Formats: sequence, C-alpha cells, structure tokens
Amino acid sequence: MRRDWDSFSFHLAIGIVAVLALVLLVAPTAIVIIVSFTSGFSLRFPPPGYSLRWYGELWDAWQLHFAAMNSLKVAAAATGLSILLGTAAGLGIARSQRASAKMLDSLFMSPLVLPALAFGLSALMFFSALGMPVSPLTLIIGHTVVCVPYVVRNTVAALSQLDPTLLECSASLGADKVYTFRRITLPLIRPGILAGGFIAFMSSFDNVPVSLFLRDAATDMLPIRSSAIRWCACPMWCATRWRRCRSSTRRCSNAPQASGRTRSTPSAASPCR
Amino acid sequence: MQKRDTGEGGRSLVVDAVTHRYGASVAVENINLDIRSGELVALLGPSGCGKTTLLRIIAGFVRQTEGRIILSDEVVDDLGPKRRRIGIVFQNYALFPHMSVAENVAYGPAALGMGKAEREAEVRRLLELVKLGHLADRLPRQLSGGQQQRVALARALAIKPRILLLDEPFAALDKNLRLDMQIEIKRLQRLSGITTVMVTHDQEEALSMADRVAVLSQGRLEQFASPTEIYDRPQSLFVNTFVGSANQLNGIVVSADAGRATVRLDAGAEVVARTPAGTLAAGQRCLVCLRPEHLELGDGADGFAAVVEMGLPLGPTVVHEVRGADGAGIKVSEPRRAGVALRETGAPVRVRPAAPDLATAYSAS
Repeated sequence: MRRDWDSFSFHLAIGIVAVLALVLLVAPTAIVIIVSFTSGFSLRFPPPGYSLRWYGELWDAWQLHFAAMNSLKVAAAATGLSILLGTAAGLGIARSQRASAKMLDSLFMSPLVLPALAFGLSALMFFSALGMPVSPLTLIIGHTVVCVPYVVRNTVAALSQLDPTLLECSASLGADKVYTFRRITLPLIRPGILAGGFIAFMSSFDNVPVSLFLRDAATDMLPIRSSAIRWCACPMWCATRWRRCRSSTRRCSNAPQASGRTRSTPSAASPCR
Repeated sequence: MQKRDTGEGGRSLVVDAVTHRYGASVAVENINLDIRSGELVALLGPSGCGKTTLLRIIAGFVRQTEGRIILSDEVVDDLGPKRRRIGIVFQNYALFPHMSVAENVAYGPAALGMGKAEREAEVRRLLELVKLGHLADRLPRQLSGGQQQRVALARALAIKPRILLLDEPFAALDKNLRLDMQIEIKRLQRLSGITTVMVTHDQEEALSMADRVAVLSQGRLEQFASPTEIYDRPQSLFVNTFVGSANQLNGIVVSADAGRATVRLDAGAEVVARTPAGTLAAGQRCLVCLRPEHLELGDGADGFAAVVEMGLPLGPTVVHEVRGADGAGIKVSEPRRAGVALRETGAPVRVRPAAPDLATAYSAS
C-alpha cells in the first residue's frame, strides 16, 4: 500500500514537471503559428478572426525576399567554407596528441565563447585596418569564423568514434592515405560533418551581431530586417505596444508569448512596406 | 642470420634479432624466429609479453628499434604496411561497417588497382572459399561473429598476401564456435599453403593449431618449438608453468651432471630431473616441476608420503589434490576407471613419478 503511494506520487510529480516543460516549450511555437493566421493588425492571442491575408502580404514583400536571399547566400557560402576548413582542422586536431593541437582546438572554439557583438566589432576594426571595406566577402568571412566551431566539434567527435584499426587495416590491404580517406574515413565521419554543417548553416542564417557590423548597406539580412521590425515605428504598433505593456505593467496578458517569435513571422513584417 | 627454407607456395619469414623499445621500457628484446614457408606459427604469451608488438612490427605498423624483418629473402624494414602485402585478421576483425561483405573483400584488390571484372570473380571465389557466397550483400553488422571472422579472412586473402597474420583470432568467439573456426582456419591455411603467424594468449589454441609455438615472456623468446616439444620438454620454468599446469616442488640438488640432476625433494623421496635451463650444482636449492599427469598415487613404499585433501572426477580423468609432508599442495591427475571410488579425504597415500625422466628442475631464485 505504502509502495503504491510512493510510486503514484513519484509518477505524479514527474508527470506534472513533464507537462509543464512541454507546455512552456511548445506553447510559444503553437501560438506563433496560430497568430500568423490572424485577420487583424495586432498580434493578439487568441486572434480576433482568421485569414490568410498576412501570407498574401508576405508574397509581395520584396524587401523580405531580398533579405532572405542574402541570408541564404551568405549562410550557404559560410557553411561551405566552414565544412571545408572545419573538417580539415578537425582531422588535424583529432589525430594529434601534441599540445599545439590542443591549443589550436581551443583557438578554433573561441568564437563560441567570445560575445558575438565583441567579435563583430573587432572584426570590423580588423578589416578596416587592412583597408578592406565591408562587403559580402567580409560578411562571409565573419560568419565562417563563428560557424567553424560547430563543424570542428562535430568532426572531432565523429573521428573519435572511428576505430583506428580500420585505418591500419586499410593500409595493410594496400591503400594509400588518400584512398583510405576517400573510402573509409570520409564515409564514416560524413554524418558528423553534415550535422556540424547544418548547425553552422542555422547559426549563420540566424546571426545578427556579426552581420550588424560586417555587412554593407546594400546587403540586407533577414534576421536584421526581422529584428528591426521591433524598432520600426510605422507599421509595428502591435509590436511596440507589446513592448510597452510588458515594461509597464503585467496587466496585458494575452499577447506576450508570441512576441519572441515575431521577428520571423511574416505577419509582423509585411506592413513595413 | 639463421638458415631458412624457401619452399614452394608460401613465403618464409625471418625475424632477425628484433628489439623494440617504447621510451625506456623494452617491449621485445632480441627475438629471433625463423619461420618456414607454409608454416603456422603461434606467438604465445600472457598479456604484455610483447607478442602484439612483434606482430605489429611484422605487419609494418611499428618500426623496430633494432633488428630486421626478412620476408622471403627481402628485407622489408623500409616498407610501410601498404607495401608489404601482408594479410591481417584483426582481433575485432575491423570490417568496414559501411560496406557490404563483397565490398569489404573487394577493398584490397580495388586499392591495388585490379580491374572490375577480375575483382568480382576473385571476390566470388574467396566468398565461396569461406562459404559466405550467399551473404555477399549483407552489411557486417548483420553477420554473426564467426561469419564476420570469415569475411575478415577472405578480405585478408584477397590481396594474395605473402604471409597471413592473425591477431587473437578466436578471442571474440564463444567456445563452441571457436573450435569450428579453428578447424576452418587450419583447413584454409593448409589449402592455400600460406605462411601464417598467429598471436594468442590461449595455450590450447596455440598447441592445437600451430606447427610451431613461440612462447614469449616479458619481451623475451622463451622457447620456439613444436607443440609437443613445448609441452614435454619445456626449456624454462616459465614455459613449464605457463603451458599446461605443473606442480612446483622445492628440493635440494644431490648430484648433477650436464643436463641432469638428482634432487632430494623437501617432501621426501629423490627424483632424477632434466635441467634444460642450465646445469645445477650439488647442494643448490631448486624447483622441480612435475605435471599432474606425470604423477601417480600409490600405497606402496616408493615416492613420498602425502595426505589426500580432495578428489575431483573430471570424466575421463580424476584429479586428486594432496598435501606433502612439507605442506606443499600437489595435483595428481590419473585416468579414471569406472567403478573405482575416489580416495577419501584425509587418507594417507604415496606420490611418485609415473615414469622416470618426466621431472624438470630449475634453480630456485
């Protein structure tokens, strides 16, 4: 009887925590999706009515399309470079026992520790000291620096899973280093490299602080445009209203959860035209 | 350099005064092996005896500090593993997990630039040889341990290796499968006539499979001889106790000449023993090794007195654990006859060598 109660209370407590966690994690996303179908101007939840009007607006929002294309291009370039450089670095670091390899590992990881704003500012100063004006090139270089750690980390992890006898075996079967890399090492660590590449792509696509400093005026980036929505006075009275109400009182209880996602919701962005 | 025999079929392998040091510690010390073509040699020893290091030196993964490796009259020290053409079956098989059985076997020929049609025919031939033709498209993880080992063997044979190395080949298999695979590998080795070196810590495996066994201890070669020679005429105390089991009895040398000594055991009785590890001096303390099956229990007056502690019937044999007058525990193994009862605990018996010339004496140090 006592054991039943122990077990019941245990499961009850775990269940409550699990439901709480699920609600807190999933609810904001669900609310954003629901609010995107609103028929009104404000990000009110629940919406006053439902329509696809903001999706229609998005279809015509050429600035957003332009920014998104820029972001995609930069992210693709930065990811490609990161995979190339990060995999090479990972191969070198993972195989070496030397202290220099450990140091290089920390060096490649440092962009993760450094505040991205600080890196963006110092990179801008560095480029201007070199006499390089900000351009898509500087933007891609900056993004690559902050994306490389993800690829390095994942490559090193994948390599540590790789049985070194496979490489010895390959050599004993008459394969040279290049052949071994192409047929054994690369296929076996490819999932790790791709995972690293995916994270790198997302972190580049989503990056604000580095883009803020290293882009030129012509290169509008999607996350910057989206976050600018918050400050934009004309169209975003909905967003600003939310900010005001959160900073002043807690009375306004219906909209706030959605706000964290507004920057990427099309409905919030389109009135900027 | 020693004499060697380069026959048809397999290649000879000479390990010539090979020493290897890792920093200050010596992994193998002055090893000389002269392996004839077509021979199956086992490197036997406890873990840390240097047998794996020696195998890695032969394979070319480790460059020895001193000495030479000579493969059918060619010194191969400057050749890396990829140019030695030595087939290796690794302990964990090291099958390429992302390739099918056929692709694994085809890997070596492909790396060596063999044409596609020729390669496929070779793969088919080898998979038939190891009786895995029907599993060519499976991935390694879909195979049992024994099947994986046969794939590893086929893959090693695919490069037409000059010699074959097996690293603890049966350690990962369960007992029933182990015997099957031992027979299988011995069959394939005989069939192809390929010179084979096998590393193992399992003495039964070494004695049953190998033509000759090299016993290693602490980096040194203790004895290199046929399995029966190793078992019957061990050259050192280590070989005597590591291969098979042996009772070690303390005694004092009464008289000695070259290769032979009469020893008075502390438990009583005198025995004549071989002294392979060096002549002993009269009056010297020594250890006499007698295998359990080299002793027998009697009720007469010869031998020395002991008391039965325990009797263990092991099917065809019966082992009695007895204790001598000096307190030494001694195992005696005799053929068991149906209907004959075990000796009772506490019963007095006499222990004597079953035949002359079976004891071996080493200086006690």
